Amino acid sequence: MTVAMPRLTARRFALRPPRPPIAAATVVLGLALTAVAWPSLFAADPLAADPLHVLEAPSAAHWFGTDQLGRDVFDRVVHGARHSLSIGVAATVIAVGAGILLGLLAGLTHRAADEVLSRGFDALAAFPLVLLALLFIAIAGTGTVSLIVAIGIATLPHHARVVRAQTLVVRQAPYVTHAVAFGASRTRLVLRHVLPNVLGPIPVLAMIGLGEAVLIAAGLSFLGLGPQPPSPEWGAMLSEGRGYLHIAWWASVLPGCAVTATVISLTVIGRHLQNRFEGRHQ
Amino acid sequence: MRRTRSAAALAAVVLALTAACSPGEPAASGAGQPVSGGSLTWAVETEPITFNPHQYAQAKARLLVWNTFEALLTHDDKGGHLPWLATGYETSPDGRTYTFKLRTDVSFTDGTRFDAAAVKANVDQFAVEGYNPTVAAVQLRNLDRVEVIDPATVAFHLERPDVLLLDFLSSPQGAQVSPKSLKEAKNLKAGGPELAGTGPFVLDRYTAGQEVHFTRNPAYQWAPANAGHTGPAYLDEITYRFLKEPSVRVGALTSGQVQVIEGVPATDEALITGNDRLTFARGLNSGSAYSYYFNTAHAPFDDIRVRRAFREAVDVDAVLQGVYRGSATRAWSVIGPTSPFYDKSLEKTYGGDAAEANRLLDEAGWTTRDADGFRTKDGKRLTVRLVQSAPFVRDRRDVLAQAVQAAVKQSAGIDLNVALVDQGAATQALADGAYEVFDNSRADTDAGAALNLLLHSAGAINRTGVKDPELDRLLEEGQASTDQAARNGTYQRVQRLTVTDQALILPLYAPADQVAAAATVGGLGFEPTAGVPGSAYHLWLGK
Repeated sequence: MTVAMPRLTARRFALRPPRPPIAAATVVLGLALTAVAWPSLFAADPLAADPLHVLEAPSAAHWFGTDQLGRDVFDRVVHGARHSLSIGVAATVIAVGAGILLGLLAGLTHRAADEVLSRGFDALAAFPLVLLALLFIAIAGTGTVSLIVAIGIATLPHHARVVRAQTLVVRQAPYVTHAVAFGASRTRLVLRHVLPNVLGPIPVLAMIGLGEAVLIAAGLSFLGLGPQPPSPEWGAMLSEGRGYLHIAWWASVLPGCAVTATVISLTVIGRHLQNRFEGRHQ
Repeated sequence: MRRTRSAAALAAVVLALTAACSPGEPAASGAGQPVSGGSLTWAVETEPITFNPHQYAQAKARLLVWNTFEALLTHDDKGGHLPWLATGYETSPDGRTYTFKLRTDVSFTDGTRFDAAAVKANVDQFAVEGYNPTVAAVQLRNLDRVEVIDPATVAFHLERPDVLLLDFLSSPQGAQVSPKSLKEAKNLKAGGPELAGTGPFVLDRYTAGQEVHFTRNPAYQWAPANAGHTGPAYLDEITYRFLKEPSVRVGALTSGQVQVIEGVPATDEALITGNDRLTFARGLNSGSAYSYYFNTAHAPFDDIRVRRAFREAVDVDAVLQGVYRGSATRAWSVIGPTSPFYDKSLEKTYGGDAAEANRLLDEAGWTTRDADGFRTKDGKRLTVRLVQSAPFVRDRRDVLAQAVQAAVKQSAGIDLNVALVDQGAATQALADGAYEVFDNSRADTDAGAALNLLLHSAGAINRTGVKDPELDRLLEEGQASTDQAARNGTYQRVQRLTVTDQALILPLYAPADQVAAAATVGGLGFEPTAGVPGSAYHLWLGK
C-alpha cells in the first residue's frame, strides 16, 4: 500500500491533460475551420498567377512567398484548408455513418450475417489504408468525390468493429433484456436502448480518424489522385512544389506545415477526448 | 547517436582529403584525351515506349536508338545527308529512283550479314498491316517498291518524286534491324534485347521502370565520317536510368550516382553551371515548335475569332519567363527556328494583347460571364480541354499548361481544362475528338515530315481537323521538290497560312535539350541537325 501510493501519483501526473497543447490545437483547428468557412476573410484568389513574380521568397506582400506560377502560397494554403478539411470531414462522416450501420447490423442480426460482415471488415482491415483507397480510385477514377469515398471506405472497418463489439456488450445489458421482456418493439429497442449506448467511443474515434483522413487525403493528392490542378489542395501543393524544393522551399514546406499542424491538432484533441472518455482524469 | 557522429566525422575527413587533393586546381579542366574502357550511367527523363526503332515516336528516346541501330544515311550539321551504312546514292533524272551502294563489311550483332536483302526486308516490314501506319502513310507514301540489284546495291522506286525518302533513310524509323529479328522476335513492336542492330552497342538488359543497359559491340568498324573517331566505342558499357523527376536527376548527378543527366530543368541550371565539377550544354532541337493546336472540328475553335482570342490572351514571353526563367527560346511559327524553312517574318506579328482577345470574344458572342468569371454563351461556359499524355510530358510542360491556363482565365475569361492522363486515355480522347487543344512538338530532322503529319488533311496527327486543298497542295509540293530554295518558299507559305491566315496554332517554345555531366565525361554533344543528345558512341570517361 505504501509502495503503491507514489506510483499512483506518478501515473496521475503523467496522465494530467496537457493543457497548453490542447489550447494550441484548438486555436489551430479553429483557424482552419474558419478558413474552411470563410477563406475570403483571410486570403485573395488562390488561382491568380503572376508569371513575372514566380518562386519569390516570403515577404510582406507574399507572407508565404509565391509558387512556380507566381501564385501566392499563403492564399493557396488558406483556401487549401477548405479542400483538405472538407475532404477529411466528408470521408469521416461516410466512415462513421456506414461503420455504425454495419456494426449494428453485425451485432444485432443473425449469427450468419454477423459472420459475413465481420469477415468483410477483417478483409478490408487487412489491406493498408492507402492501398485500399488507391484500389478504389483506380476503379472510380480520380477526383474529389472518389477520393472522399475511397478514404471513407478504407477507414470504415475500424468504426464498424468498435460498434459491433459495443453492440454485443449492450445487448446483454440488463436494461436491454428488461426492455425485451417489456415487449419493446425492435425499432424502439435499437434506437432507444442500443444505439445511444454504443455511440460512446464514436466521437473520440471520429476525431482521431479525421486527422488520419486529412493525412491520407493529402497523401493521395500528392500522388495526383485527388483534386486536380490548379486546385489549392495541400497535398497537391506539396507535390507541385517538390521539384523546386532546393530553390524555393516555401512552395512545398509551408503547405506541408499546414498539413502537419492540422493533423497534430486533430490528434491531440482526439487523444484528449479519449483520455476523458476512458475516465483517466476527473 | 554515436554512429551518426562518427559518420559525420568520416565525411568531414573525406571532404578535407578531396579538398587537399585538388589545391586550387579547376576540376572542370575537361576529360582529357579519349580513353577506352569504363562504364557510365546516364539518367534520362523519358522511358521509351518501345525499343524498336521502326516504332520510334519520342524525341527524348532518340539518344538510345543510335546505340544499337544505324541507318543508311546520317545528317551533317546543315540538314544535308552523309553516307553511313550506304556508301553513297544516285538519283535518277526523273527523281523517281534512288539507287544506294551499301557497305559490304557490316554485320548485325546476331551474326546476320547486312546487305541489300536486309534493307528490303526492313522497308517491306512497313507494309505489314498495323506495323507502323504513320510511317507507311507519310514517309513511305510514294514508295512503289524496293529492288535488290545485287547484295551491295539496292534501288528505291517511287511513284512520284519525294525528298522525304532521304530523311526517312536517315531517321530512326529508317534504321536497319536484323531481318532475322524481324522474323523471329516475339514482341517485335516493343523491341528490346531480342532485336539486333549493327550499332556500336548491344542492348542486353532492360528493366521496365528502372533502366536499360548496353554493352560495347567489339566488332564495330563502320562509324560515319562525322563521328569523330572510328572503331569500337570507348565505353565498355553504359546504363540509362529512368528518373522522371527533374530534381532527382539533378540530385543523382551532384551526388555522383550518375555521370550524365539530360532534361536539366531551367530552375536548376544555376546549380550546375555554378559547380566546376560539372558541365552543362544546351542544343535546340530540329523539327516543329512546341505548339498548341486548336481543334477546328467543333465549337468553340471552329470560330477563328475564338482561336485568335486564345492566342492574344496569352503573354507567351511572360509565361516562358515564369516557367523557364528566360532559358526557353520562344517559337513564333509551327516550325522551329533552327530549321532552314523557318519564316522569321512571323515574329512579333501576334499575341499578348488581352484587350484584343476580349474584343474578339465579345464579337464572337461570348459576352456573358458566370460566377467563376468565365465567359459564357447561351448558358454554356467557354471551356476548352487540353489532354496531355504523361509519357510525352517533358520540360515541365504540365506546369507550362497551368501557366497558360491561368493566363487565359485572367486576361480573357477562357476556361482551359488541363488533364494529365496515361497514354491509353489520351489516345482515346483524341480518337473521340474529346479535346479542343492538342499539344505537340516533333523533332523530325526535315520539318516537312512534321508538317505533313500535322497539317495535311490526311495527316496521321492532324489534330486541328484542317482540310484545306491549298495547304495539301503546298505540302505535297514541298515533299516533291528537290530544290531547297523552292522548298523554302513553299514552306513559308504553309507557315503563313497556318499561323497568320487561319490561326490554327499557338506556338510556344522551341524544344531544346539540356545536358549536364560530370567534368570527367568526354565527347558529350548533340546529334547534328536533330539537336538531341548524341549516342554513347562518342562518350568516354576521363580522370
